[in-house]
Amino acid sequence: MIEIENLWYVYESGFTALKGVSIRISNGEYLAIMGKNGAGKTTLAKHLNGLLKPTRGYVLIDGMDTRDYSVAQLSRKVGYVFQNPDRFLFAESVEKELMFTLKNLGFSESEIPSLITRTLNDLNLSQFRNRSPFSLSGGERRRVALAAILCANPDYIVLDEPTVGQDFYEKERLAALLERLNKKDRRAVIVISHDVEFVADHIPRTITMSDGLIVSDGPTNKVLTNQLIIERSNLKLPQISELFTLLHEKNSHIPRDIVNIEQALEAFNKLTSSRKR
Amino acid sequence: MSVFESFKYKRKDTFIHNLDPRTKLIMVIVLSAVSLMFFEIVPLLIILVINTILIAIAKSLREWYYTLKGLLYLLILVFVFNYFLVSPIFGIITVLRLLALASSFSVFFLTVHPDDLTQALIQMKIPFDYAFSLSLAIRFVPTIAQESQSIMDAQMSRGLELQKGSLIQKARNYLPILVPLIVNSIRRALQIAESLESRGFGAEEKRTYLYELKMRFSDYLVICLFLASFLLLLLDRYFLLQYLFS
Amino acid sequence: MALIEVEHLFFRYSRSNHWILEDINLQISSGEFVLLLGTTGSGKTTLCRTFNGLIPHFHRGVYQGVVRVAGFEVDKTETPKLAKYIGYVFQNPENMLFSLNVEREIAFSLENLAYPKDTIIQRVDEVLSLLNIEHLRHKAPYELSGGEQQLVAIASVLALKPKIIIFDEPTANLDPLTADYVLRLIKRLNTVFGITIILVEHRLELVMPLASRVIVIDNGKIVMDGPPDEIINNQLFYAIGINVPKIASLFNILNKRYKLGLKPTLNIYSAANELEGVFNDRD
Repeated sequence: MIEIENLWYVYESGFTALKGVSIRISNGEYLAIMGKNGAGKTTLAKHLNGLLKPTRGYVLIDGMDTRDYSVAQLSRKVGYVFQNPDRFLFAESVEKELMFTLKNLGFSESEIPSLITRTLNDLNLSQFRNRSPFSLSGGERRRVALAAILCANPDYIVLDEPTVGQDFYEKERLAALLERLNKKDRRAVIVISHDVEFVADHIPRTITMSDGLIVSDGPTNKVLTNQLIIERSNLKLPQISELFTLLHEKNSHIPRDIVNIEQALEAFNKLTSSRKR
Repeated sequence: MSVFESFKYKRKDTFIHNLDPRTKLIMVIVLSAVSLMFFEIVPLLIILVINTILIAIAKSLREWYYTLKGLLYLLILVFVFNYFLVSPIFGIITVLRLLALASSFSVFFLTVHPDDLTQALIQMKIPFDYAFSLSLAIRFVPTIAQESQSIMDAQMSRGLELQKGSLIQKARNYLPILVPLIVNSIRRALQIAESLESRGFGAEEKRTYLYELKMRFSDYLVICLFLASFLLLLLDRYFLLQYLFS
Repeated sequence: MALIEVEHLFFRYSRSNHWILEDINLQISSGEFVLLLGTTGSGKTTLCRTFNGLIPHFHRGVYQGVVRVAGFEVDKTETPKLAKYIGYVFQNPENMLFSLNVEREIAFSLENLAYPKDTIIQRVDEVLSLLNIEHLRHKAPYELSGGEQQLVAIASVLALKPKIIIFDEPTANLDPLTADYVLRLIKRLNTVFGITIILVEHRLELVMPLASRVIVIDNGKIVMDGPPDEIINNQLFYAIGINVPKIASLFNILNKRYKLGLKPTLNIYSAANELEGVFNDRD
């Protein structure tokens, strides 16, 4: 469990990025943290693996107070996947990239080979094992970056804006991977994003932030359909929600808390079958 | 607030800020040369006082204070080192020289906008391509600094511990920081080149310059003052002015 | 004469052995708002680069065919000379801003093309007021937010008053509201100032309703070319792998599953009307 209690953070420049944030994340949860650029999402995320230490308040990762542990120690539990893979790929081969993480995090020589093989398989990167990461395409490099963090099997995975600039196939692949990590491998997945459509499609819980404060925290189809919350969080309604808001106004039998196509189809089914009496 | 505070340009309206960058270039050359020329306490103290006054006129004493704070440990180290290696006096002298040099450069960097520096170089007949490269380098310093911080964050998140280990280990630890930094810089350079082409860079042989520097009376006055003082000091230092007046 | 003419264009990068662009034929007229779509690696950015000469002059490779922009043959004209006619706003504004000061940044292109000082001063004022960024005049690029940087980048390209502007994923790093603002600005440039726009974007919900023409590239070939309403009625659109706007996608699925014969639309209000009709029918 991750417990964030009354977290305040003030940057050296004097800017207060977090103003008393409290959140609980249980093992195996899947959630999104949303808000406009500058709302404090990344600042918050960096507290999860100790890159930033609280100015006030505390952050507990499975009972470990982040102020008492180094980033390296916390990284065994919390894997942070940065947005830009080119920020940290540097090794001669994909295999060596994964080895770097595993060695640094203290895995033994005997454990490492199997962890590498499994991760490469899971992410469809086996054929690139001995290739230099620099010779791969953008999407492939992103998967390598992901692999370099996932190989350590962290219990909590944080992804910073993982969908920027990606087309449909890439997003679906990512969503499938995250779903597998969450459902099958029982890892907590925390996605920081301002991509309303992606979150609406795939992520069950949403926390929205604005100006260093939490605006809302709840099921995605309640949070992202609430006009007030959307406004205060500087976001936009998912397109399907916009549609159903209009439909609901015309006909109150039509439900309003619909955020994606799947839910829309379900609603449609229910309504039309209930009419067939 | 770091030790670099008095080497960063801040827009202010002071006599020194309003001088032509070429004037200030001459000022800093003279001041630095004098700092290096003398091995006695009194002249070095005088330079330091002059520079402090100049910084005060430039309304930048606060920034100078932060730099001094940041340099404190270095200065103490230098003093102690020279005290034992040579003599106490030499210790004081070396510290004063360091301060004199630092303050000379501060006067320049606090009051010269990097774009004006570029313009100064261009008007001193340095080809635009070279002057512009310098300008780009200066412009991207904060960007690259931020990027190296991001890279460090990312690698620390993979367990990299920069502080641990022997000296050799510590040096090796910087490889995962340097490689992405260099690769990204090259990528960035390519993108910048594309942008430059798309913005007409090199389209015409003779460019227009929006801001042209013009020397004013105050500039010539200051230059004459500095050059005259420098000449006198040179004579005094190397040719013993006494002979002329005895 | 069309503003941009492409005839039998083939291109591959030197280190590659398959065509990145294969037999592209295209004409874009003055005043169009063209949305260029395609999956990652489909060739859309490559195509954009052929319009302002970055291909073949900056990126070498094997180039066949003709591209004519504003009357100039691109492979015979250097990119800087084309800057007056066609501007390019790249994805990452950080690498498009060279000066330490917004005012100088906007003047940069004008200086390069040796405009007289008075014109430069006037244009800078014009552009700052047009984009409502007069308050940013003396700021440095690294002091600006992502959205502000993007606006300054656009301003500095606009300063030359080009006939065409290419926008390559301009909202990639922006949050939804800022992205909306920038896209509406781009639309205004088209409707109010008549600038021909070529926009590469992934976030179609915001952008598709704004375009007058949609060109879809797949594997280096143009596979669809027409007005947005026509495109969303074409089954191919849903099969390629682009981020189809959600309502269009919903209608497509409803049609397939329930044989409803709904007309896919990009407009939320018409969509609501149509669906409401369906719900009422089933009563």
